[in-house]
Amino acid sequence: MSAERIYRLLLRAYPPDFRAEYGREMVLLFRDQCRESDVRTVRFWAMVLSDVARSAPALRAAAWRAWVNESTQTMEVIMKLAAMLTVLLGVFGIVGAVVEWVAGSKGAIDGTYVLAVVLGVFANVLLLGAGVAILLRRPHAARLALFASLVSVVAARLLFPWMSYFSQLVGFGLPVALLIALYWPRRASPVAQ
Amino acid sequence: MAGRLPYYIEYRYIAKRHAGRPPEAYLPLPPATFHILLALADGELHGYAIMKGVAARSEGTVRLGPGTLYGSLKRLLEAGLVEEGRERADPERGDERRRYYRLTPLGLSVVRAEARRLEGMVRAARRKKLIGERPA
Repeated sequence: MSAERIYRLLLRAYPPDFRAEYGREMVLLFRDQCRESDVRTVRFWAMVLSDVARSAPALRAAAWRAWVNESTQTMEVIMKLAAMLTVLLGVFGIVGAVVEWVAGSKGAIDGTYVLAVVLGVFANVLLLGAGVAILLRRPHAARLALFASLVSVVAARLLFPWMSYFSQLVGFGLPVALLIALYWPRRASPVAQ
Repeated sequence: MAGRLPYYIEYRYIAKRHAGRPPEAYLPLPPATFHILLALADGELHGYAIMKGVAARSEGTVRLGPGTLYGSLKRLLEAGLVEEGRERADPERGDERRRYYRLTPLGLSVVRAEARRLEGMVRAARRKKLIGERPA
């Protein structure tokens, strides 16, 4: 195997973006080094390996930091959109619960039904509050509101088993998704501060 | 996400971000970086010429391999201290086209500031008679 082929294999230690940008130049430089050194000596390969061992991990770490930073920015935008959606769904849920209350009040209603509707309204108010808290960058308050909303929805579902699929999806799915996103480890996120 | 950023993004979000920073904000420079900037003070050079220049100037004490050199150049390009010149073949080293690099005005200010900082340190060491005369 030629020295250049070995060096091309060693280049795989570098991040792909860096290789794409500077790989050709590095091979050219290595070729120049080969012309002016004895590639059969241990000293030459010790220098080559030491260069790769020193620079590749640092560049990999820098690429990883850049990726985390980029992901954090993307995550922040997603969280803002999710928070706005949560506020809208919270308002929609409150209106829906009130409409149901008005419709249900025309017939005979029992205490369990009333409690289920009250819990539904409470859960949606909490969902709305969680959305506002995320927008105001209060992750702790948002987490508390989401947990409380989840508990309220579970209680309402146990009391009122005929809850619509949409209500269940919003009631369970949205708080769980937001809690996962809020607990997801990331660096320097203003939302998670 | 991956790959090189478009030039307008580089200019808008990277080059402009560094535009307002004073040269002193970049100090102290790592030795390899200072040597690279010092080599580029002579004018536009390609990678191998920078490497040879650094080895010659440091009397062989600083040896930059391809990974260290291009890793440093990448950071210097991102910081706006160095820019790429026209890609061309070096008549002395065959007809392969090579990338050339040169100092930006900011890069020149930074290398001057670092040289002044080092000069100040050498003066302090001289005043304490640690160098120049017989050590105390």
